[in-house]
Amino acid sequence: MKDSITKEKLFNHPIETVWNAISKGEEISAWFIKADFKPIVGYQYTFISKPNEKGCTTISGEVKKSDPYTLIYTWIVADTKVETIVKWELESIEEGTKLHLEHSGISKYEGETAIAMFESFNDGWEGCISLLTDYLKEEIDAG
Amino acid sequence: MQDKITKLFKAIADPTRREIFHALLITSSALSITEITNQFEISRQGITKHIKTLEDAGLVYIESKGRERFCNASAKPLKEINKWLKFYEQFWNNSLNNLEDYLNTSKDS
Repeated sequence: MKDSITKEKLFNHPIETVWNAISKGEEISAWFIKADFKPIVGYQYTFISKPNEKGCTTISGEVKKSDPYTLIYTWIVADTKVETIVKWELESIEEGTKLHLEHSGISKYEGETAIAMFESFNDGWEGCISLLTDYLKEEIDAG
Repeated sequence: MQDKITKLFKAIADPTRREIFHALLITSSALSITEITNQFEISRQGITKHIKTLEDAGLVYIESKGRERFCNASAKPLKEINKWLKFYEQFWNNSLNNLEDYLNTSKDS
């Protein structure tokens, strides 16, 4: 049975540029989620989505590995106590950089928690993401 | 919770148990232990053990009628996981597209 999601994506950018984008707090905040993040093993990070009237989801966890170009952290949504693992791996290729992303442990979400969280995600999370997307668009348009 | 998931994985890890689960899932009515035993080349005792493991994981529930025990499949534990996988699938697709846009707009100038 599948317990993880894996993604691969190519970027036409040098490995260092992509590494900074996924590991530096200010850059993560620019494209992903507002982040208090440092690529230091043991660092307790927090991702906070932009607030809306419902309040937004917080993601927290600990950096487990930060060794260019592999970044691993635990991923705990709000107060679910369900710990999943997110792993980013970068590989330098001719065209630029290949990203391999793996989010594992997803089957740990179960029962009532899963249903409740899923619904709150649908209400709150997508709102936060779209707010973030709007924010990014404004940034780009302004720039 | 951790324990529950371990049971689910244990249940689904074995090919024979997957076949039994599948056989139960595709029949519209419950199957008795005897009927399941007839479909597989395993002893009744072996089938009973597999059914117990599936039951522990919440994938099978059993109703007793007289002397026979009837087994029903429940895909609910798997569906919940599937919901999450689908959600995160979409989430990471969107996020990686955002990362691409970010890199293309801010790093190329």
